[in-house]
Amino acid sequence: MIKNKPTLFFVIVLLTALCFNACNTINSNNPEIQKPVFEPSNSYAAVDKSPMDISYYPVDFPARKMSGNDTGSLTARVIYSRPQKNGRAIFGNEPPPKYVQQYGDLWRLGANEASEIEFFKPVSIKGQRISKGRYIIYCIPFEDKWVIVFNTNLFSWGLHPDTAKDIAKIETPVYKSEKTIEHFTMVFQPSATGANLIMAWDNMQAALPISF
Amino acid sequence: MKKFFLLVCAVIFSASFLIAQTKLPPVDKSTMDMSYYPNGYPVSKIQDKPTDPLVARVIYSRPQKSGRTVFGDLLEYGKVWRLGANEATEIEFYQNVKINTTKIKKGRYTMYCIPYADRWTVIINKENDTWGSFKYDIKKDVARMDVPVQKQAEIVEAFTMTFEKAGTGTNLIIAWDDVKVSLPIVF
Repeated sequence: MIKNKPTLFFVIVLLTALCFNACNTINSNNPEIQKPVFEPSNSYAAVDKSPMDISYYPVDFPARKMSGNDTGSLTARVIYSRPQKNGRAIFGNEPPPKYVQQYGDLWRLGANEASEIEFFKPVSIKGQRISKGRYIIYCIPFEDKWVIVFNTNLFSWGLHPDTAKDIAKIETPVYKSEKTIEHFTMVFQPSATGANLIMAWDNMQAALPISF
Repeated sequence: MKKFFLLVCAVIFSASFLIAQTKLPPVDKSTMDMSYYPNGYPVSKIQDKPTDPLVARVIYSRPQKSGRTVFGDLLEYGKVWRLGANEATEIEFYQNVKINTTKIKKGRYTMYCIPYADRWTVIINKENDTWGSFKYDIKKDVARMDVPVQKQAEIVEAFTMTFEKAGTGTNLIIAWDDVKVSLPIVF
């Protein structure tokens, strides 16, 4: 189509520049949306700096199912990403950069894609009924309590949750941890009435009591 | 009232005690990841950017090559492979799709693969929330498809699954070490 070599070269340079710019604009709207990576050389999908993880209740359900142990029926699972403390002070009463997460501000309970929790049966949390199904989960942290929020805006990115889609807000006390927890962690643990969802990072941890 | 107060104290005490007892899991060596089709769907969603409707999502773990020869050595040809690490790899369709002319209803499935030197048999199976391929049950297969192995010049260190747009829907690209395959998903 384009027989003239210099013209072809010019067109290629122009298209490359346009493409580069286009790619840049997507991310430059909001620098927080750039996914930090530690294996950028992977040309398909770089490995995330805050890796994703999954926790089940019953604890280790997939592995126990495989080994033929009686596990009880599948109740819940959470899929979340695990940012690291990296020497930073995480929770505090001032905005970043002093603290990563200021008290009273929405916190995505993770990184990257919104943290997702699924209940495979109806549950009750501090008297609030939660129907069987899938939700995103985020938090409003305070010094003495965390407000855990369930929201129906699935398949979204963790920043700026659409609060119009909140379906339950549940307060739970927060405790100091003995050891510093480097990677943000969410894990289930059996309790007398069902399970606790433990959420822990830096020197803070909270337990959300789930009854079923 | 006093009893109630004591009960509250007991609950608070036991809750803090339980937290102290919790063994928190370390970060996995083969980290988990997630890919959507359309690509980047969650980001587009919160930016209110129009995209095509959500079709699929894969959740998988990413073992690394770490200097090993992966296919034909670390992974034996002809044996079922879990297509990842740790928890079984999961694919979810948000609408009905077709793989290898088999209709697949929207829903959550587990993926496996049988690698050979020249082709991979990619498997969609309905036993969910399992670990690895140790309990793989052929009776629970919903679809199988043979796809040709493509050599690539660039070495992929971390096992990768990602979607790309195709004329008939999307291709699920599965790449590790010096090879990749492309699984056509039609919708």
